[in-house]
Order: sequence, then C-alpha cells, then structure tokens
Amino acid sequence: MEKVVVKKSKHIPEKGFHYTAMVLLILLAIYSVIPFFLMLAISISSEATLAKNGYQFFPKELSFAAYKYLWAKRITIGRCYLITIVTTVVGTAVNLVLTSLFAYPLSRQDFKHRNVFAFILFFTLLFNGGLTATYIVWTRIFMIKNTVWALLVPGLLMGGMNVLMVRNYYAANIPYAIIEAARIDGANDLKIYTGIMVPLSKPVMTTIGLFAALGYWNNWTNGLYYISDSKLYSVQVYLMKLMNDIAYLKSSSYGMESAQLATMSFPTEGARMAIAMIAILPILMVYPFIQKELVKGMVVGGVKG
Amino acid sequence: MAKKNVPASSVYDGLLAQRNKKSAKATFAVYLPLYLMMLPGFIYLICNNYLPMFGILIAFKNVNFSVGVFKSPWVGFKNFEFLFATNDAFLMIRNTLLYNIVWIAMGLVIAVTIAIFMAEISERKIAKVIQPIICFPSMISAVILSYIVYGFLSTNYGFINQIMGTKTNFYTKAQYWPFILTIVHFWQSAGQSSIIYMASIGGIDKSMYEAARIDGAGKLKQILYITLPMLRPMIILLLLLSIGRIFNSDFGLFYQVTLNSGRLYKTTQTIDTYVYRALMEMNNVGMSSAASVFQAIIGFVLVLLSNLIVRRIDPQSALF
Repeated sequence: MEKVVVKKSKHIPEKGFHYTAMVLLILLAIYSVIPFFLMLAISISSEATLAKNGYQFFPKELSFAAYKYLWAKRITIGRCYLITIVTTVVGTAVNLVLTSLFAYPLSRQDFKHRNVFAFILFFTLLFNGGLTATYIVWTRIFMIKNTVWALLVPGLLMGGMNVLMVRNYYAANIPYAIIEAARIDGANDLKIYTGIMVPLSKPVMTTIGLFAALGYWNNWTNGLYYISDSKLYSVQVYLMKLMNDIAYLKSSSYGMESAQLATMSFPTEGARMAIAMIAILPILMVYPFIQKELVKGMVVGGVKG
Repeated sequence: MAKKNVPASSVYDGLLAQRNKKSAKATFAVYLPLYLMMLPGFIYLICNNYLPMFGILIAFKNVNFSVGVFKSPWVGFKNFEFLFATNDAFLMIRNTLLYNIVWIAMGLVIAVTIAIFMAEISERKIAKVIQPIICFPSMISAVILSYIVYGFLSTNYGFINQIMGTKTNFYTKAQYWPFILTIVHFWQSAGQSSIIYMASIGGIDKSMYEAARIDGAGKLKQILYITLPMLRPMIILLLLLSIGRIFNSDFGLFYQVTLNSGRLYKTTQTIDTYVYRALMEMNNVGMSSAASVFQAIIGFVLVLLSNLIVRRIDPQSALF
C-alpha cells in the first residue's frame, strides 16, 4: 500500500520530466533534419526566386531546372558517380578481405607469433607519420598521383581498429574446438577461413563493411591530396573542387558574383545543391535499413575508436 | 635413477636435434598459410603506416625534390625553429587546443543529456525513430556539410542574411567562426556521440531505479545518484581518450566548411589545416613536416599518458 502512495505523490514531476525529454528530443530531431530541407528547397527553387528571395525553406516558385541541368550534364556527373560507385564497391570488398584475412591468424591461440603481428597492427593506432610524410610516400615512392589508386588505397584499405574488432569477434564467438575439429578432418587454413570464419562472422563483417562503404562514398580528402585530373573526380571530389573554385573566384580580386559565375559555365546555385542532394540520396535511401548495424558499430568503435 | 636410462652418447643428442629441427620446420610449414594470409595486410601496413613513420625524418631535412628526399641535406631542428618563430605556430596550437577543450567539455554535457533523455523515453516507439534521425548528420561528408553551411551563410542568398535582412560576408569575418563551427560540429556529432552513453545507461540494473523510487527519490535524484555515478567510468574513459587526441582536429570542418578562406585563419587555422596549407599551398615541406611531426609526437605521448591513467582507473577499458 505504501509503495502506491509514494508512487502517486511523485507522479506529476516524473511525468513532467518524461514529456520535457520527449519534446526536447523531438526538437533535436527536427533540428537535425532541417538543414537537409534547406538543401532540397534550394535545389528545387527557380533561379528567379533565388535571385529575388535568396535561399528559402519554402520557395515561391518551384523549378526542376537544376535537375534538368544535371541530366544535361549526365556525362560528367555520370562519370563521377561511376567512379564513386566503383571505388566504393571495390574498396569495400578488398577492405573486408584484407581485414578478415589479417584478423584470422591473430585470433588463433596456437599461432605463436600472433602477438608480434598484433603489436605491429596496434602500433599504427598509436602513432602515425602525419600528412606530410604520408603524402610524400604515396606520391614520390608509389606515384599514385592522378591515378585511380589514389581514391582506393591511401588510408582506407584496412583499419587497425577494424582488424582488432574482427579478431575479438573470432576469438569470442568461434570456439577454437571447431577449428581444431576441422583441421583433424583435413581442412586447411584457407578452407577454415572461407568455410568457418567468414560465414560465422557475418554480423561483424556487415558492420565493418558498412563503415568501409560509407568511408569510401564520403571520402574527399584523397581527391584533395592526390587528384587534379577532372576525369578521376568522384562525386565528393567534384563537389569539393566546384565549391573551392567558386569560393576562390569570389574571394579573389575579381570579386565575381553569382551572375558572372553562371556565364563561366559553372553550375548555378540551384544546380550545385542538386548535385549535393544526389550525393547524399543513396545514403538517405539505405540508411533506414542499415542504421541498426551502424549504431552497433558506433557503440563498439566509440570507445576504442 | 632415471639418469641411468639416458645414455651420454651423442647419437641420441643428434637424433633429438634432428627431430627438433624437423618439428621447427614442420611448425613453420603448418603455420605458413597463416603467414601468407597476413601478407597482403602486412604489406599494406608497411606502405600506408610504417613508411610514413620513417618519413618523419623529413622534418629534419631541407627537402629538395630535384636531388631527391634521400640526398637532401640534414638540418637538425632548423625546420622546427623556423616554424615556432612564426606567428602561425602560436595561432594554430591555440586554436586547436581551445576548440578541443571547449568541445570536449560541451560535448560531454550534450551527449550525456541526450542519452539520459533517450533512456527516459526508450520505452516509446518514437525513440526508435528519433535515434536514427539525430545520428544521420554524422553520415554525411564535410563536403556536403560545406554546401549546407554555405546555404545558410552565403552573402547574397544565404538564409541567415535573408531573414536578418543583412549582407554579411561571413566567409571574411573571423569573429563569427568559433560560434559557427561549434554549432556545425555539434549539429553533426551530438547524436552519434550520445550513443555510447545510451548503451551504458541501457546496461544499468533497472532494480536500482526501482529501489530508489520506493525510497522516494524523484527523477532528478535518480539521475544524480544512480545514472551519473554509473556513467562515471565511461565518462572518464572517453574524456581521457579525447585528451589523447587534443592536438588533432577535424580537417574537413576547419578546411572545407570554412571554404579555406584566408581571412578566417585567425580563428580557423588548426594544426591539421596548417600542415595541409604549408605542404600544398606554400610548398614549404619543411614547415609542414615540422608541424606534422610535432603533432604526431605530442599526440603519441598524450595517448600513452592517457592510456596509463585509464589503466589505473579501469584496466578493462585501457587500450593496452
């Protein structure tokens, strides 16, 4: 009886906290998506509206001219898209193979030198040579400047943290007895890897694959450092160069304005936002289906990332 | 007694040695596939991580690409002396540290608050919608982010200038950027950074809250005396880890979102953007590598130190 009384007396303030939390979180959610609506609104405003009213959430006059412009430029933009898709698919696939291949021996408790290799891997998480040295190594030794390798290889192919994550998953979830039994049955290590480790580690591979894919899709720094040939631009690199060129022209002594820029065959304000929109569209479309995996990865990677 | 059974004769020694040799060979043969499996990743680590580590020697050379990096003369700490004689050095270190310190403190409060609120409504269906939405901004690249920020700040068309009826050129006004970057940073990272705390709160034993309620503790008291103390190890751990990265900054935010505007350097230049600009725009390999090595070495020391402290407090959370 007493319990009920106590509960009742605390009833009102607790409800208050509950609803405050809910309202604030809903506001936060709205705040998180509002900027994307501005992007969308700019991309579907007519140029006349933009010139008169600037960027508005509710454009007075709708126009799909920006998207028509993208269609007219489909060869350039299509190539950027193709490069993004190819590097994302190939990069993610190679990343998964390299990561799991490196993780499997590290998880084998009978493998004597596993600690040596684990340390070699782990040390890369603690110390790095910095951008200058990395840049010089990739451009002067490996000569990857203006090759497609620049978009695939530097920094993105295998992450130390991911290898450790997969190693821990193998060690915790796949009993050594299974591996031993397979070996007694005559399976070699490659067979064990492809037949046991990979199929049994789907959850962790999915998480790592998603983060790798997101990393490739969103990567623009490799393009900034190593690519100047416009034939090799990915979507992100194309958008980055476009924005930087415009910012440069606007800030330079010419003091160019948007109207002048348009005559220089730069995409219009709306068209630029439209390109940015189609760059995040694929993420937006798959996000509802992959967000659970991503959240799981953030919890694991959050601490030790 | 047993000794008698083992002859001193060297015949057996030879056999034993032979067997050991054979088994060493056999062991290697058994583990050869494992070595081969690690080979591709190992080569990648050498190329991507270890060669650049040796590249820090560049900071102690006067690099001249016409004679090659290896033949360039050694200059000792000259590059560092030049670097720290400039005003840039003070500015970039100050900016990097200030942004990090303020953001670490603010980030902690924001992330924990969101997590506590999320835990409060976690029973409701709407929580399953809110969580992915507030995490979504962390899925986009700094390039897209720069487009969004430009939509708000552009001089002629920008949304802010439209509603204020002004024509402020934000990209030339350094004084606004500490605020702009703080808003942008938390817009992008608040949701994601709260997830780890949400997971920790989810792991707290529910019966503790039950007991507290029976004892008459309200929500606020439950948070103060149960949730926060239970989160303490995680908070300390994440704080120490971010202190280990205090000399690093988000290059995309400080370079791309500011559109690399030279007029903003006073408040937007960080070590990372300086390293890039010195290398690519000033073509000053010496200064760039000096700043980059300075950052890498201090970062390394700080990571080791913070890990040492983490291990003292909570050995399981330590990185090593």
